[in-house]
This record gives sequence, C-alpha cells and structure tokens, in this order.
Amino acid sequence: MRLRRMTAVWAAKLAEKISVHIFHRQGVTWAGKIALRLDPSILRTLASQVKKDIFIVCGTNGKTTTNNMLCAALEAEGYRVVCNHTGSNMLNGVAAAFALAAGLGGNLKADYACIEIDEASTRRVFPHFKPDYMVLTNLFRDQLDRYGEIDITMNILKKVMQSAPKMKVIVNGDDALSAFLAMDSGNPYVTYGIGQKVMDDSQSHEIREGRFCKKCGALLQYHFYHYSQLGDYVCTGCDFRRPPLDFDAENVEVGDTLAFTVGEEKILANYKGFYNVYNILAAYAAIRTGGIRPDHFNQMLQNFHPENGRMEEFQIEGTRVVLNLAKNPAGFNQNISAVMQDPSEKDIIIVINDNAQDGIDVSWLWDVDFDRFKEDNIHSITVSGIRCQDMRLRMKYVNISSLLEADIETAIRSRIKDGCGNLYVLVNYTALFGTRNILKRLEENG
Amino acid sequence: MGDTQKKIVIGHLYPDLLNLYGDRGNIACMMERCRWRGIEAETIEFNTGDEIDFSGLDIVLLGGGSDREQAIVCKNLQKIQKDFKEYVEDGGVVIAVCGGYQLLGNYYKTEDGVIEGLHLVDIYTEQGEGRLIDNIVLQSGLTSMPVVGFENHGGRTFIGENQPFGKVLYGYGNDGESGYEGVVYKNVIGTYLHGPLLPKNPEVCDWLLKRALERKYGSAELAPLDDQEEKEANAYIYHRFVKE
Repeated sequence: MRLRRMTAVWAAKLAEKISVHIFHRQGVTWAGKIALRLDPSILRTLASQVKKDIFIVCGTNGKTTTNNMLCAALEAEGYRVVCNHTGSNMLNGVAAAFALAAGLGGNLKADYACIEIDEASTRRVFPHFKPDYMVLTNLFRDQLDRYGEIDITMNILKKVMQSAPKMKVIVNGDDALSAFLAMDSGNPYVTYGIGQKVMDDSQSHEIREGRFCKKCGALLQYHFYHYSQLGDYVCTGCDFRRPPLDFDAENVEVGDTLAFTVGEEKILANYKGFYNVYNILAAYAAIRTGGIRPDHFNQMLQNFHPENGRMEEFQIEGTRVVLNLAKNPAGFNQNISAVMQDPSEKDIIIVINDNAQDGIDVSWLWDVDFDRFKEDNIHSITVSGIRCQDMRLRMKYVNISSLLEADIETAIRSRIKDGCGNLYVLVNYTALFGTRNILKRLEENG
Repeated sequence: MGDTQKKIVIGHLYPDLLNLYGDRGNIACMMERCRWRGIEAETIEFNTGDEIDFSGLDIVLLGGGSDREQAIVCKNLQKIQKDFKEYVEDGGVVIAVCGGYQLLGNYYKTEDGVIEGLHLVDIYTEQGEGRLIDNIVLQSGLTSMPVVGFENHGGRTFIGENQPFGKVLYGYGNDGESGYEGVVYKNVIGTYLHGPLLPKNPEVCDWLLKRALERKYGSAELAPLDDQEEKEANAYIYHRFVKE
C-alpha cells in the first residue's frame, strides 16, 4: 500500500504548508489527522522504518524541552532523527511528525525517533508502535478537569508500559510517583536524579503530590525536597524509598547558567531554572541508556535554542523580553524561581487562558506561590488573557497590585513603552503560540 | 472596633489529603479579609492523626480530595465525629467544599463501597454516571451578588428538606437535576463550588466571618472593604455564562 502512504504523506505536507503560510498557525495536528485518515497504517509503517530505536518522553512537565534536547543530542552525534519538535503530542501530532519527516516516496530515512506523548494519549499511540525507551520526567497535578486525578494518569501509564514489556523506562527517581510506576510496571528501568540537597525548599507552601506511599499507603518521609514532591523520600511503612540513582547530578550550580557533573562528565548549559537540570539530565540519561556515547553533548547544549516559548528571548525596541510557558502549579513555581534568579529590575506579564487545552478550571492559580513576586526588583505586574480577572484577584490576596489588560498585544506594547526594559511574559498553554507570534512580529518590525 | 483585639482562628482540616482545588485560596481570603479590618487571624493546619480541640476554633475548613484520599480521611474523621458534631450544633462555622461537602453527610456510596460520613448534616451522596464538570453560577439567599465558581464532582448529593446554598443559574449543582446547589445548616455551608469559592464571592466569606465573630463575641459589624476587583471578577463569570 505504498501509493496510499505516499498520498497521505503528500497531503500531510500540503496541509502543514497551507496552515503555516496561509493561516499562520501550526498545522501539525491537522496534517496528522489527514495522514491517518488517508492511511490508517501510516504511523505503524513509518515507525517500523526507524533503523535503530524509538524514544518517547512522557511526564507532566519538561516533555518538550527534554525531547527536543534528546533529538539535538542524537543529531549532534550524526544521526537522522524524527521528532515532534512543536510539542504536538497527541495521536495526530505524533502521526504528523512521521508523515512530515517521510520523503515524497512515502518512506522514512531515520536512525532514531524522539517523540513526546501526552500521557493520556499513550493509549492511542501504543497500538501503532512499541517504543524501545520511555523517559518519564515527573507527575504533577495538571488540568484536573481534563485528566482527573493523578491516580488516573498513573493507571493509564502502567497499562501502556505493560503493553510494551521490553520498553526500558528512564525514570526520574526523585519523583516517588514516577519511580513507583516504573518499579510497579515490571518493565526494565534506569533512574536519574539529583542525589544531594541543592537548596532548601522545606519552607515552601507548594502542594506536594503523593505524600502517601503508593505501595503501602503509609506516610512518605523526606530527607529534603528539591521542589514540589521531588526529593529524597523513604516510606515509614514499607521498603519503598528513592531508588539508587544510575545518573546522579552532582555539584549542581544554579545561577545565570547551569553546571553539574554526572560521573566523570561535566555538563554546562546556558539556561536558567533549576528544573532544567532535570531536563538536561533526562536527555543525557536517555542517550547513554540507548548505548550512544554523547561526545558532543556540551557542544549541543551551547547551540540549543529551541525557540518554542521556553525561556525564549526577544529584543524589542530596547527591551529584553523573555517568554516562558507556565501551565500548572509545579511548572509555575519553577518559573517564578527562574525569574527571581534574575536580580535586575523587571516587569512581568502573566497571561491566563481557560480554553479546553488549558483546562477550563483555573483554581490551580491559587496553588502557585505568587507571594514570591513581592520583591523590590519587581517594576510592575500585568495580568492578561481570558481569565485576567481571576489572576488579578489572585495577586490581590497576596497583597500585590497588578495592572489589568485583557488583550495580550496591548499589554506587551504598553510594558515595552513604559516598562524598565526587562520584561518576562509568563503564559499558559493556548496563549503561548499567539503570544510568541506577537513577540516575533514586534521584534522583526522593531 | 471593640475594646479588645478580636481574633478568628481557622482550623484547616487534613490539608495533607484534602487539597485538590485551590483550598489555599479560601484560607487566604478569610485571613486577609480579617486582617484588612484589623481583626487578627490565625490558621491551624490539622493533618491526619492530629488531635483537634474544636473549642479553640472559630471556623473549620474541610476541603476536597480524590476519592482514594477521602477514604483515608474518613477513618480519621470518625475519631473526631462527636466533637465535630457538638461544634456544629453549638453554631460553629464550617465551610466544606467538594469532598469535604460529601463528608458532612451520612455517607458517600461509590462503586468501590460506602464511605461513612460525619452525620453532621442529614444529606447523602451517591456516585453517578460521569463527572459534572463546568463553571457554575448560583443565586443564593446569603448574598446579593450571584455566587460563581467551578464544579467537578462524580458524586450526586441529596439534601432532602435541608436549605440549599443556592439555586443553579448555570451549571449542574448537587445532582445535576434538582436545580439546587450545596446546603446550609445552622452555620455550616457545604458546596461543590471551588475555584476557589471565597475570593470571587466576598459576601460568602463575610457571612462566615460574621457568624464566627457573632458566636465568639456576641455581635459583629464588619467594616466594608473595597471589593471592586472581587465584583469585577464575579461579574465576568456571571455575564459570560448567564444571559441577561
């Protein structure tokens, strides 16, 4: 059925082009839908053409960054890689990644595939192919109205892991929920994590998931937390504890840049945000577990500019603008830490939407520690997006006054005009693409 | 203000297990609306297994948790049932949200079995087909503004002859059919509304504070606050979901 597959590949490529060039939207989901409609077996066939291994990345936060970094690391070693770069991670997005990477003859020339998959969508993707490796980054509360409780997500992941019993799981051992899942699944696994305490997080008000052992129900005791529930835990009722770390980040330095060692390897990156230690470490652990020597890993990190709204920088009329995605309490709290690591004066715009893909329930805003914005170096805070009213109220109850401007472009233009030249724009999911387009346009026209 | 410094003590029950839907917002709202009026406010967190002295509490908050966590809480609750019941009958103020609301009643029947309730209010809950998830708007006898929030519950709660918290203008409510939401019994409010409930509904917050102050000090006049931002956030939800 090669003809059918070729037609599907052509149609997907056309759909993507039309979408991007005519409608200025990401056309990936649409392209994947068309490809699967024209050839329901396209994903199965193209995935089977990957010469070496298929990596998938799952977990609440860090999927896109980890996956793109893993792809870049493999490319840096000279391999050809299929990757869903844009973060379209449901079945259609995954199908599109393969279809768009295929040649016009309908065949794929790739050594590896790096595919991030939305946890709930794994059920729909796994029937098409069985990955060789799964990176599991973490499990936090996210969009309770869409996914329900974390227990439901864990049940889904356990089932798909068991449907691919040879798939090796590369798991964040600092997360009791993810680690338990890897152990409980019966799949082979390796662990990564940050063995020693880096900074004190014991006073944080953060919500910590899974305080009770998934194995026996007793309380988990923590020697320390890195953030949220990530840390060094031991069960008070059974033998469950943080597993030994196969890839342990030591000598962690967090500042304007990140540095740490894994065994003999010293890793340096030009990023901010402690959470990026986990993303880099996950990509490193994955490539090593895949049996590849990452000789050019640091070089890759130096050149890694994902340009997808993750700490992405723009220069607009003399203002440095940093765009970052923040879509759930754990992610937002880490975002705030990263912003506050910048000691200079700054303006902040927070954009909150409540479209279906964001989760229509915005109560999670109250689980974020916004009181940490109460510092002298905050020049102004502006709230924007569909639920800016809720966000303004959230700030009021930590006694921080904010400017309300529902329209994102107006908010950005105003702060560029009257701000201090250092602007952070924190957005949730559906605001990301639109905000990024606005910033790109302003940068180009500036 | 009276001669003595007034103080409200809030007991937050089992935040280690019941913390699903921004309950911190309800606590922050009560605390700040006391402080802004010069009333001292303190919150004491009681985790599972802690001893609770209800005589030292003016407001009790029981939040929402997952079904599994609720079953763990339920075991602990039976130990404090008698004291909690006395507190309620004595006019003690309670705000119970989502899972906490279900636990106020006689039982919550799920497909995995029956979770024994606190028997504080004569209501009961049964798990229904599918979850009721949406924004929600009520008209309540306790407030002049509409009450707005978000609901996400699998249980259907039946309140019998008890007074509901409000009439549903948009959304599902207690059971998706009766047209009513929540329950009010003495100084207890039970409701599925989170979002969280109190910040966008400052009148509900003040109702709780007033009742608590009256019970403790005999009388209470709450100084008015500038609620412009609260009113605008409330009005946004009302206009978006309820047609004029």
